[in-house]
Amino acid sequence: MTDKKAKSPRRSDRPPVDLAAELKLKRDSFVHTFFRRGAEFTEELLQENERIRKSMLDLERENTTLRSQLASDKAIRDLLQKIDDLENEKRDILSHMHEAEAISTRFSNRQSQIEDELANLANLHVASWHLHSTLKLPLVVRHLKELLAQLVGARAFVLYVFDENRSDLVPVASDGMDPAKLARMKVGASESASGPAALIERAFLTGVEHIVEGALGERDMTTPLACLPLRVDGRAIGVIVIHSVLAQKERFVAVDFELFKLLGVHAAAALVAAQLFLAADGKLAGADAFLGLDAHSPTPAR
Amino acid sequence: MSAEYSCLVVEDSPMMRQLLVFALSRVKNLRVTEADDGVDGLRKLAAGKFDIILTDINMPIMDGLKLVKRVRSDPTHKDTPIIIITTEGSDEDRQRALQLGANAYITKPIQAPQVIAKVKELLKIER
Repeated sequence: MTDKKAKSPRRSDRPPVDLAAELKLKRDSFVHTFFRRGAEFTEELLQENERIRKSMLDLERENTTLRSQLASDKAIRDLLQKIDDLENEKRDILSHMHEAEAISTRFSNRQSQIEDELANLANLHVASWHLHSTLKLPLVVRHLKELLAQLVGARAFVLYVFDENRSDLVPVASDGMDPAKLARMKVGASESASGPAALIERAFLTGVEHIVEGALGERDMTTPLACLPLRVDGRAIGVIVIHSVLAQKERFVAVDFELFKLLGVHAAAALVAAQLFLAADGKLAGADAFLGLDAHSPTPAR
Repeated sequence: MSAEYSCLVVEDSPMMRQLLVFALSRVKNLRVTEADDGVDGLRKLAAGKFDIILTDINMPIMDGLKLVKRVRSDPTHKDTPIIIITTEGSDEDRQRALQLGANAYITKPIQAPQVIAKVKELLKIER
C-alpha cells in the first residue's frame, strides 16, 4: 500500500472514470460469476438431489424386495415347522396304530384261545353229561363207545372190565375189532408179561395211563395207542384200550388228554353205578340210604 | 333275541348233536333245530325254512348222502348250504358228497371253531 501510494498519489476522493468502469466491470464480472457459480451449484445440488432420490427409490425397492423375501422365508419356515409337526403327528399316529394292531392281535389270539378252551369244556361237559345221564348199563356202554368214536376219533377199541373172582380182565364191549379174537386177560398171572398185554396190565394195576404221544401215523393194531385205567375211589375196575384211530386223526391233542382223564373217573363211576343198579334190579334204596349219614350237619367247607 | 338264521342239525348220535348245538350257540342269532336221522331231517325241512343244514353221513333209516340228494331236488332248499360232518375221511367220500351238492365237508372228531367258521362263511356272517 505504501508503494501504491507512493507510485500513484491520489488527486481526488472520487475514482477516475476508468477505474470506476473497471471496478464496475469487475463487479459485474464477479456478480456474473457468482450467479453462474450459484446456478452451477444449484444445478449440482439438483443433480445430487435427483441422484439421492433415485438411490432412495432403489433402496426402497431393495427394501421392499428384502421385506417380501423375509416374509417368504418366514412362510417357508412356518411351512417347514408345519411339516415337522405333521411328521411328528404321523409318527404318533403310526405308533398308536401299531399299538392298536398289537392289542388287536393279542385280543384276537386270546379270543381264539378262549374259543378253543370253551370248545374243549363243551366236549368234557357233553361227555360227562351223557355218561351220567342214565343208570342203564347198555346205555352207559353205548355212550362210552360213542364218546370214544365221536369225540376222540377212536376206530378200534375195547373195554375190559375186571372180574374179581377170576382175576381176569374181560373184554365186555368193543368197536372196530373182531369180538371172537378178543380174549380174557389174566391179571398178575405172569410177572414176565410183555407186549400189548403188559401195557394193559400195567395201566390197570398202576392206574397210570399209557398214551402214545406225537404222530400216530400208520400203526399195527397189536400195540395199543392208549390204555386208560378206570378207577373209582382208588379201586381199579377196568381198562379202555384204543388200538387205532380215524385216518384223519394225526395225534392225540390237549382235549383228548382231558377226555382220557375224565373217562378214567367218570366212565368208571357210571359203569359201577349202572352195574349196581342192574344188580338191585332197578330198585333204589330211597330215603333209608341217607339215614345215619349226618347229612344235616353244616357243610365243612363253610 | 329274534333269530336271523335257522340251522338244521341232522345227526343220529345225541352226544354229537349236543356238541354241535353247543358249538352253534356261539353263532349269534342262529336258531338250531335238531333231527336224528335223514327222514326226520326231511320232515323238519318240510315244516320250515332253513338257512343252513349240517348233516352226518352214517345214520339209520336215511343216510346223509341221500338226504343231500333229496334236499337238492327240493326247489325250496335247493340252494341251502349243506355241511357234511362225518367220520369218513377219505377223498373219495369227500368228492362224492361235494358232487351230490354238499358245500363243505368236515371230518370228526370235530373242532368247534372250525364248524363255527364254516357256518359263518356259508351264511356270510362277518367274523
